[in-house]
Amino acid sequence: MLLELSVGNLIEPVSGRRWDRAEIGCQVARRIARLQKHGLAPGDRVFLPFGNRLEFFVELLAIWRLGGCVIPIDNRLTAFEVENLARAATPRLAVVDEATPAEIIQVLSTSGVNVIQTTETGTDEAAASLVGLESDALMLFTSGSTGDPKGVVHTHRSLRARWMSLRDHLGVVAFEKTLCMLPTHFGHGLICNSLFPWLSGQDLYITQPFRPELVMRLGTLVDESGITFMSSVPPIWRLALKLARPPQRGTLQRVHCGSAPLSAHMWEDIRRWTGTRNVCNAYGITETGSWVAGLVDAGVPAEDGLIGQGWGAVVRVLHTNDTTQSLDRETRCAPGESGFVWLNTPALMKGYFRRDDLTRQAVVDGWFMTGDIGFLDDRGRLVLRGRERDEINKGGMKIYPSDIDAVVESFERATDVCTFALDDPIYGQTVGMAVVLADQSDETICALYQWMKAHLAEPKMPVRWWVIDAIPRTSRGKINRDAVKAACQNQPPLDLPGILGKGTSS
Amino acid sequence: MNEKWGPRRQDLIRFLREIQKAGLPVESLDDSDELVASGLIDSLAILQIVIYLEDTYGIDLSVRGVDPEQLGSIGNILDLIEQERP
Repeated sequence: MLLELSVGNLIEPVSGRRWDRAEIGCQVARRIARLQKHGLAPGDRVFLPFGNRLEFFVELLAIWRLGGCVIPIDNRLTAFEVENLARAATPRLAVVDEATPAEIIQVLSTSGVNVIQTTETGTDEAAASLVGLESDALMLFTSGSTGDPKGVVHTHRSLRARWMSLRDHLGVVAFEKTLCMLPTHFGHGLICNSLFPWLSGQDLYITQPFRPELVMRLGTLVDESGITFMSSVPPIWRLALKLARPPQRGTLQRVHCGSAPLSAHMWEDIRRWTGTRNVCNAYGITETGSWVAGLVDAGVPAEDGLIGQGWGAVVRVLHTNDTTQSLDRETRCAPGESGFVWLNTPALMKGYFRRDDLTRQAVVDGWFMTGDIGFLDDRGRLVLRGRERDEINKGGMKIYPSDIDAVVESFERATDVCTFALDDPIYGQTVGMAVVLADQSDETICALYQWMKAHLAEPKMPVRWWVIDAIPRTSRGKINRDAVKAACQNQPPLDLPGILGKGTSS
Repeated sequence: MNEKWGPRRQDLIRFLREIQKAGLPVESLDDSDELVASGLIDSLAILQIVIYLEDTYGIDLSVRGVDPEQLGSIGNILDLIEQERP
């Protein structure tokens, strides 16, 4: 049903471009013909290092109809990171757009990937419908861009399970005109904010992600397009609540917020701004096909960390986070008692790509260990209280300290490193770094900065550096990132702009 | 041009140094250079500039709204302060 091209219209409200269903059918058919000419076969993987435009969605449908697996790639990754991902995923093809940097195209070509431009379709059309439910449909890399990549693989079955669950719990009426301002290489933006409404026949309005100039005119955008639904993340709301005039027409019927739970205060502010009480946290994890829990009737009083009930998922809070033992033993926490959040859902990923070891570390007896900490209230609603994971949540983008550490460790004059989360007024969290250097000269610091810039996507670059004599470790020799952070914050960070400025002016 | 704004400009530069990304010294920018396009600050850091204007000069942009361009360069921000200061 969802894959029979019963799609809605696609609209870019900023550029004014709009493809109706007939045009979408034509664009998909042309791309099927073009992909066939390039030899795409069932099971082949295809990189899409672009997104948030009409062409992305028709490429995705065309690849699916030929039995291929789509791998959306963050277009801010460096050539080093893309090469690393290509080595791990071995895509047959990459479809790029005119904004894809030449060095990315070059590195893909030298990796043996056939690179084609999304706009070069020709006029031939072809039909195909090879979609098998068990086929790999989507791979989303969540970490390891600089080391051992961790690719979450979803089949058509797991994706369809997610969308059917959402439809059962939320219906589609509120999604009639859906706005997506989130990146399409994330599970949140792609699977739920975009594909769920669009493949349910609703209209999708897509913009470039995280553009302040768009957020600052969000109310106008909502009014002009009659937007009925949107999802977002807290940093966008911080900006919109501060600078955008509220919509006037009252078209918004439902609003989700993901990535980090809203505070009760911001929750109520968003309700006032949007003009609807139907605002809620959508708890989502890439491995579970994103939105896995929330509120159906979101008009309830706002509470810090309140998520709600499972959407096509059973939510349990257990005393244990041990994934080496069977969960047969009863280890559930009592209502109100905090513990580790586990999920059981038919939308669970197939596994991590070629990393059965990692899959076994995350999934036990079909239950996924989220790494989040929370409790179930007396009404059975999930309330989140924190995270156990190391990841840094920078405005919804999950950054893994090990990815940054791996790059710094490969710099010859770095002898030890530890990256960690710093509180940030806009993004919620950002990246800090403690590093031990063989010498602490400005020249070495400048060289390390250039080394990191060449290997890390810009959002992963630490914004505060501390050059220290030794990284504190536990008695077992492990790094406690919170302890390192606490030690660093007792002293001023490096004046990196000043040091780099001297390098520039000399 | 720098002398025109006096201590207000110095204070803004000091603030931008706190929120800027590492790669480019703020002192190397002209007053008309675009802060985001030059790579000095992240695009969403505009919110921090808004909070700075509120805290330092009592300018409440949520009331009057703002054109992003008005926060786009050092000179434009200083012009905005001049216009909106209570």
